[in-house]
Amino acid sequence: MTLHVAPAALDLEPAPLLSVANVSRFYGERIGCADVSFDLWPGEVLGIVGESGSGKSTLLRCLAGIDKPDAGEVLFRGGSEPLDIYSVSEQERRRLMRTAWGIVHQNPRDGLRMDVTAGGNVGERLMDRGDRHYGEIRERALDWLQRVEIAGSRIDDRPRQFSGGMQQRLQIARVLVSEPRLVFMDEPTGGLDVSVQARLLDLLRVLVRDLGLAAIIVTHDLAVARLLTDRLMVMKDGKVVEQGLTDQVLDDPHHAYTQLLTSAVLSV
Amino acid sequence: MTTMIQVENVAKTFTLHNQGGARLPVFDNVNFHVEAGEALVLAGASGAGKSSLLRILYGNYRPTSGTIHVTHAGRPVDIVAAVPRTVLDIRRRTLGFVSQFLRVIPRVSTLDIVRDPLLARGATPETATERAKAMLARLNLPERLWNLAPATFSGGEQQRVNIARSFVDPSAIMLIDEPTASLDAANRDVVVELIAEARAAGSAIVGIFHDEAVREKVATRYLDITAFRKA
Amino acid sequence: MTVHQMPADNTKPAYNYAYLDEQTKRMIRRALLKAVAVPGYQVPFGSREMPLARGWGTGGIQITAALIGPADTLKVIDQGADDTTNAVSIRKFFERTADARTSEATEEATIIQTRHRIPEAPLKSGQVMVYQVPMPEPLRKLEPREAETRKMHAWAEYGLMQVKLYESIARFGEVTTTYDYPVMVNGRYVMSPSPIPKFDNPKMHMSPALQLFGAGREKRIYALPPYTSVKSLDFEDHPFRIQSWSQPCGLCGAADSYLDEVVIDDRGGRMFVCSDSHYCETRRAEGHRGAMLGDAAASGLVEETNP
Repeated sequence: MTLHVAPAALDLEPAPLLSVANVSRFYGERIGCADVSFDLWPGEVLGIVGESGSGKSTLLRCLAGIDKPDAGEVLFRGGSEPLDIYSVSEQERRRLMRTAWGIVHQNPRDGLRMDVTAGGNVGERLMDRGDRHYGEIRERALDWLQRVEIAGSRIDDRPRQFSGGMQQRLQIARVLVSEPRLVFMDEPTGGLDVSVQARLLDLLRVLVRDLGLAAIIVTHDLAVARLLTDRLMVMKDGKVVEQGLTDQVLDDPHHAYTQLLTSAVLSV
Repeated sequence: MTTMIQVENVAKTFTLHNQGGARLPVFDNVNFHVEAGEALVLAGASGAGKSSLLRILYGNYRPTSGTIHVTHAGRPVDIVAAVPRTVLDIRRRTLGFVSQFLRVIPRVSTLDIVRDPLLARGATPETATERAKAMLARLNLPERLWNLAPATFSGGEQQRVNIARSFVDPSAIMLIDEPTASLDAANRDVVVELIAEARAAGSAIVGIFHDEAVREKVATRYLDITAFRKA
Repeated sequence: MTVHQMPADNTKPAYNYAYLDEQTKRMIRRALLKAVAVPGYQVPFGSREMPLARGWGTGGIQITAALIGPADTLKVIDQGADDTTNAVSIRKFFERTADARTSEATEEATIIQTRHRIPEAPLKSGQVMVYQVPMPEPLRKLEPREAETRKMHAWAEYGLMQVKLYESIARFGEVTTTYDYPVMVNGRYVMSPSPIPKFDNPKMHMSPALQLFGAGREKRIYALPPYTSVKSLDFEDHPFRIQSWSQPCGLCGAADSYLDEVVIDDRGGRMFVCSDSHYCETRRAEGHRGAMLGDAAASGLVEETNP
């Protein structure tokens, strides 16, 4: 069954936000990811699951404009014209990554400026786009800190004074403040305690729904995928072996590898 | 009468790749339809595949072959072939599933859980709150629990939250799997009333009811799925 | 006799005119032309070894050497003063190697090499300011990678610079940067003005003089052609402000100049005096008297000039 053939597509949106066609990335002889294609519509949350080394992080880097794929095309329709993100100038791509896109890294240190206060971290994207009113920037930063459940009184503290879970929430605020259309997340709950994970997951779930974000989430945790994503792609050895609605893939897995993955989990 | 579900030639076989490729045929050549205002009760012995069929209707299990057209936004849509976002839209607007268990979302209050479907379909917060409270009261859930997250509730309390959420704004099609399993007699009667009301308002119901008394009160028609069992 | 002149015995001179060989001067002039053409852009150049350590103004000295001719008058200031060791040494260097006339008078100079100050007297068309620059890259403390800062300049990605100002206001209620305060040049490049006090930043804006910046150790040259817009970075609700003092210069009474605090005895006595020594002397010669001039003259700190 091919999920892309849609006799009854309902034209909910005029066009996908992101169209990925035949993306491949090789490391010498070794396959990073091979021949990945999919469409992502506005407001959709796609999960990419698989074990370490399955190519999911490589794929994310290709999609997010960080690593140029060796073949294939990534088309973004955030503005009036569709944009092939690897044929536009680096300048345009960087602008896109600071405005219409957001990347949430697994390690908050990769996504935060550790020497800059929480307020400065959240305000940076606003200043990037030319905001020059200190009071307004601070107000927006305060608002976002509260939305990610960080007390406003911490606005002038630096991230290194924060716990791991707080750092991750700060990173999310820093990304979402510019109201991106598409967010990439690489193991957003990795490295956090289980109780901290639950809080972060719930927060992400609410934000993604309230803001109508499209998101691509890489995770090896099927419970995270179940809670946050609408659709799943299962990767093995660089290839997509199964994809579809999240609950379909998890409850009625067809591919041998997916069956192995889902049966290896106690309860999702 | 409007046909809400049209099932044609549906077959389902599970293939267990990690158990030597064992094939578990469930059923074959399933054909039936459900009209608006009907309550079709699935019958058959335990293990006959009633729950599997319900899950297939919901788009949760993928049939091996066949088509299932549900009437969504005024036209038939094959939920088997539909893309994920279409399936999600059908579930949001047309197709509800009432399971035995509440999937507990951490930190969300009972009232918010019940309000959510109303808000998603565009009700004002005031209306949504009012209707949610009325529904929780009707299911005899103590008011002191309304602002708590149901994670620590008993099985019966969680089930009632789940029922409240499903019936606060009944979908055009409702798939119901053992909703009364851990309820007392009084609450069972409320559920029977709720189903009858939804049906009267035009919902098409497909359900599995273990309790014979409930089944008798709810059903307008039975479908014995043993007939579809593969030999 | 100056060292570049022919010795009596007709052998070759010990050094070329203005110390640097002509090829090097040409290379520096080319870099200067490019810098003038793209105001605020840092042009790499082949910085030479000079007879003093890098960090002592070798960037400025190389620019001055590439510009100076026998008709020029050179003024050198260090922290506003003409008589500090560094200023005196650089003046002597060009007196010996380039036959240059030197002066302490801002109005007489055609080339003014400076570290840390812009003279108080307004600059004129035809004058050249040469700044010694230790750290030409305003983004360096925020972004250590050179490849990255080049891209940030190329595409005017200056949000991070603003974050630095934000941080200062968030922590101290105001921008606490008091020298080397970043500026936007010609609406395009963010530039380090060299470690001058922010008091001097407005003097760069639309100046009739040509302003050249040389960083010897970092091998960069940049420039402000005459009449270039130079705006100090700020926020709409926290506009850029220069320093001010509660009292005028103790010696000359000037209320419009940058003041240094000077400790005058070992009992905690202190006074504020102009950092620009020539400006202060000129005013005193014109008859301006500060409140503490008498005391200072009595204790031999300054000579009291009678109008």
